[in-house]
Amino acid sequence: MLINRNCEGMRRRDCLRLGLGGLIAGGLSGALRARASDNPALLTRQADACILIWMDGGPSHYETFDPKPDAPIEIRGQFSSIPTQTPGIHFSQPMKRLASISNDLAIVRSIRHDQGNHGAGNHYMMTGAPPRIPVGCGAFVSFHPSLGSVVAQQIGAPNGIPPYFSLPSMSRSGGPNFLGAKYAPFVVPDSPTISSFRVRDVTIPNNLTDAQFTSRQDIRKHIDQLQRIQEEAAGDPAVAADEFFQQGLQLITSREAQAAFNIHAEPDTIRDAYGRNGFGQRALLARRLVKAGVPFVTLYDGGWDHHENIFEAFNKKMPDFESSIAALVQDLRQQGMLERTLVIALGEFGRTPKVNERGGRDHWSNAMSVMFAGGGTPGGQVVGATDRQGYAAIERVLSPESFVSTIYKKLGIDPNHILYTPEGRPTHLVSEPNPIAELMG
Amino acid sequence: MRTTVELKLLNLLKLTAVFAVVVSCSVCGTMGSAEQPISFELDVQPVLTSAGCNAGACHGKQRGQNGFQLSLLGFDADFDFDQITQQARGRRLFPASPEQSLFLQKATAELPHGGGQRFATDSFQYSVLSKWIQQGATRWVTGEPKLELVELTQRDFALKPDETQALKVTATYSDGSTRDVTDATTYLANEAAVVAVDAHGKMRAGLLPGETAIMARYMNHICVANVVIPQTRSLAAEYYAQLPRRNFIDDLVYAKLQKTATQPSAPVDDATFMRRAFTDLIGRLPSVIEAREFLDTESENKREYLVDRLLERPEYVDHWANQWADLLRPNPYRVGIKAVMNYDNWIRQQFRDNVRYDEFVRKLIEAKGSTWQNGAATLYRDRREPEEIAPLISQLFMGVRLECAKCHHHPFEKWSQRDFYQFAAYFAKVDRKGTGLSPPISGGEEVVFVSAKGTVKHPVTSEALEPHPLFGQTPEIAEGIDPRSYLADWMTSKENAYFAKVQVNRVWAALMGRGFVEPVDDIRSTNPATNPELLDALAKHFQNSDYDLKDLLKTIALSSVYSLSSTPTDTNVGDRLNYSRHYRHRLRAEVLLDAVADITETPNTLEGMWPEARANQVWTYRVDSMFLDTFGRPNENQDPPCERTKDSTVTQALHLMNSPEIDRRIRSDEGRVARLAKSAMTATEIVNELYLSVFSRYPNSVELAYAVALLDSAGDKRRGTIEDLMWAMLNAPECHIQN
Repeated sequence: MLINRNCEGMRRRDCLRLGLGGLIAGGLSGALRARASDNPALLTRQADACILIWMDGGPSHYETFDPKPDAPIEIRGQFSSIPTQTPGIHFSQPMKRLASISNDLAIVRSIRHDQGNHGAGNHYMMTGAPPRIPVGCGAFVSFHPSLGSVVAQQIGAPNGIPPYFSLPSMSRSGGPNFLGAKYAPFVVPDSPTISSFRVRDVTIPNNLTDAQFTSRQDIRKHIDQLQRIQEEAAGDPAVAADEFFQQGLQLITSREAQAAFNIHAEPDTIRDAYGRNGFGQRALLARRLVKAGVPFVTLYDGGWDHHENIFEAFNKKMPDFESSIAALVQDLRQQGMLERTLVIALGEFGRTPKVNERGGRDHWSNAMSVMFAGGGTPGGQVVGATDRQGYAAIERVLSPESFVSTIYKKLGIDPNHILYTPEGRPTHLVSEPNPIAELMG
Repeated sequence: MRTTVELKLLNLLKLTAVFAVVVSCSVCGTMGSAEQPISFELDVQPVLTSAGCNAGACHGKQRGQNGFQLSLLGFDADFDFDQITQQARGRRLFPASPEQSLFLQKATAELPHGGGQRFATDSFQYSVLSKWIQQGATRWVTGEPKLELVELTQRDFALKPDETQALKVTATYSDGSTRDVTDATTYLANEAAVVAVDAHGKMRAGLLPGETAIMARYMNHICVANVVIPQTRSLAAEYYAQLPRRNFIDDLVYAKLQKTATQPSAPVDDATFMRRAFTDLIGRLPSVIEAREFLDTESENKREYLVDRLLERPEYVDHWANQWADLLRPNPYRVGIKAVMNYDNWIRQQFRDNVRYDEFVRKLIEAKGSTWQNGAATLYRDRREPEEIAPLISQLFMGVRLECAKCHHHPFEKWSQRDFYQFAAYFAKVDRKGTGLSPPISGGEEVVFVSAKGTVKHPVTSEALEPHPLFGQTPEIAEGIDPRSYLADWMTSKENAYFAKVQVNRVWAALMGRGFVEPVDDIRSTNPATNPELLDALAKHFQNSDYDLKDLLKTIALSSVYSLSSTPTDTNVGDRLNYSRHYRHRLRAEVLLDAVADITETPNTLEGMWPEARANQVWTYRVDSMFLDTFGRPNENQDPPCERTKDSTVTQALHLMNSPEIDRRIRSDEGRVARLAKSAMTATEIVNELYLSVFSRYPNSVELAYAVALLDSAGDKRRGTIEDLMWAMLNAPECHIQN
């Protein structure tokens, strides 16, 4: 028997070599073909990319996808249940635009877990692993690599593009843990709504002209006199740095890549459709990044922790928000990308059945609703159910493990994959590796 | 009672069986005779291990797999026996009809099995297990001998490139009998690129000269084979005799090089030495004035003078305290921001006061009092249970990774669960009062004290354990005395060689680019040092200096070996173990960010820090910095905190190339470029200053001529051209890679 202590080093170099392939739609396929030989799961992948919409705080299942019109008023709340495009499926009143495209959506109403605070709930949903020790509510913890970091490591992106973006900030447990900092999310904090917006680092700074950038390259060639030790056995970090510099340069000088990052090139009608707000424009940017070959984008949105005045908050926040999501799904469809792009919206958990005295709902992990679209997910369906009053998932009760396994499986990553911690301890990517069958088509 | 003759017979039978079914398993068993009793420990357990049933990813993991748990790699036979025969209401075994046993039907995949088929029904393994069940699945066989010794028949090997050779492992039992267990042994190559090993113990040497170790494990016994692929050439002893030597480090490095016939690289010039000494010892670049002063001075012992002066600078404190903060800093969301800040201040104060290393460690181990008064007490606010503290202490201060032994016998070492919990028992009486953890703020004050009560129990036997060190003894613990002080005495005693070794290894790795042992805090027989004589000598030196860190740094920095060039000779290009040349490495994130501040003459603007604070002074990861995140810093919110990446990445290249921050700092009206452009300095003076500030050296005549010509032809674009030059230099590896 042989213990393979580190299969990870190999993968990274593979990614580097493959990074020099094509770019933009279809450009990934060459790289993937090459990767598929050592990772057969990639051949059966349903999606090339995932856009994860993280509604931080935990959106209420009652006010989104799991209305309970027959429950008493203190439970059902102020919103009514509305029919959707799909006969027999109802959403809550605020989800108007999404209701109109429900044939593209699959709603899972029966994911549940036992981590009723933000730190722990985030960790469980973002990594598929419960926190190893009890953690506090506001904690930022990481005991296991996040979805995005695993995708960055296992799939990577072509041409020096960072493989895992998180906009405009990283979610609590969205880090790489023992996979190492190179798989941390690439965070772009700036708002794409402003006219001077550029994606940091992967485009040249605002004040610099292309001509100046080119002349700087020439100067650098003259200045750079450090002797390189070319023999591979020497492991010269300067040689590695050259490789990365060249990849970076290729990214900057690639017309297609630069076009992908340039949200200003998008027609006004599309920008308007997504909504001229931070979240809407980031959703549009996410679509452009995916088109450029980025396999994982987290769209982080705060403010879903409605302990008080939940109905006012939804009235204010949800119309823009849900229409941005609807615009994203529709646009992906129009671009011919929906089939290969998985869109997911969720938070840490659902919210308490009884509206509290402050007009809000509190944390509730016995039930939550998660929205799926695209990436080979059969639309127009609801998976699982909560009881009549929405207290608990009772039909097709599903775990966070099955949730993340679904995403991994769709992206062609085996949830049974064994990772090794720096101590050499083997650990499964997901402890219970069963995807949600209804979503796999 | 098994006789030697019988065992020999068994071995013969075994061989026949292996050939017959073409399944490699060397476990002893009986193929046909019902008289031969099968032993659970000696026969069944090795089958489960070699078939991978009790591997860490399968039933050997904590909580098992699908309700069936085995001890990891079969270290705990009693536990496994109970699991197999008693748990699940005994339904795993069916003695009346062994082949109907769940235990066998799963392993052969006759019933659905997540792990697939481990062996076939006609295999040797199957036969051993089914016989055992048939014979009544007993824990012990009458008069069963004990496994006492596992040995490699040969331990030291010299292979030619690409040569193969087989390892042979023999087990010896208490009755004097032996077995060949080569095929049931697990092998692990330390560096498979140097020498690889397959599942049957066959080694294959790589193509280049080198050396490594291979670990072999059979049941809970471990042995190590040392393998060298020697150089085919040899160099005259006189060659080594004439190499420049400053101290014992040189003697021992050259001795090793002589053994491997490796020629060290040439010594470096003053400028390269200076940049190394500054970045290694105090984590910053020399200023232009400092660089000129050093380079322009003609003095025989100017390097020693420089090292002495650097070690007295305040940046020394920040740089080394920051490296310790990497190891100690807890999650502020967990313990509270004030406790983290106090802890950080405390660490820095120890370096400011030049506290001896043993005293530093003692203060940590014995820390008590308020987390708002004594920063060191935060250690015990963060790690609250003896079993959380013990592995941290053993890893940090001894390089012994005990963590594994918390839940199972250490798979690569001798440590048992008993060793672990006895060690943890030193912390049994640590108690706290005040406000405990309440994440994410955890703002309260907590007082750590030593209580009169508190015990640590063995998790399996529930026996209350007395404190006991990992080896040796500590005196009986007197009433009313903090048990931790006995541990601190033992830990820092000169009898405990691990204590000095792990710290000198850490410091050596920081200066030389690679530890004798890697990872630096993983010292064990199965992970041998590349130059054990030098590691020992440095540890001894450190002990004799009464654990004086500055003396240790100075000793290394002034050795001739420290000053070797990174440029390879004919014989050392592949050397990455023996320090025959300097191993280049990228500057740490903080050092590089501070270098950017110094080069551009724009102070860092770090949130939550005072104006002009340096990156090496940042006291929590919660101080945002895109730059530091890109170049990698441990995130204490993660458990374990992500290790620092030494690697370059494409995002780093892009950040230096295009980030708005670097762009802003190069262009700043308050920065160096603006000052140079406005000044009356000549082109030559400007170019000299740029080279000194970024590369810490003067340009050579070609470089000078090129840059001067650029500036001379710039006309009214002088500032823009200086910006371009600075950008080009910041983006050249010579800036961010220590040569």
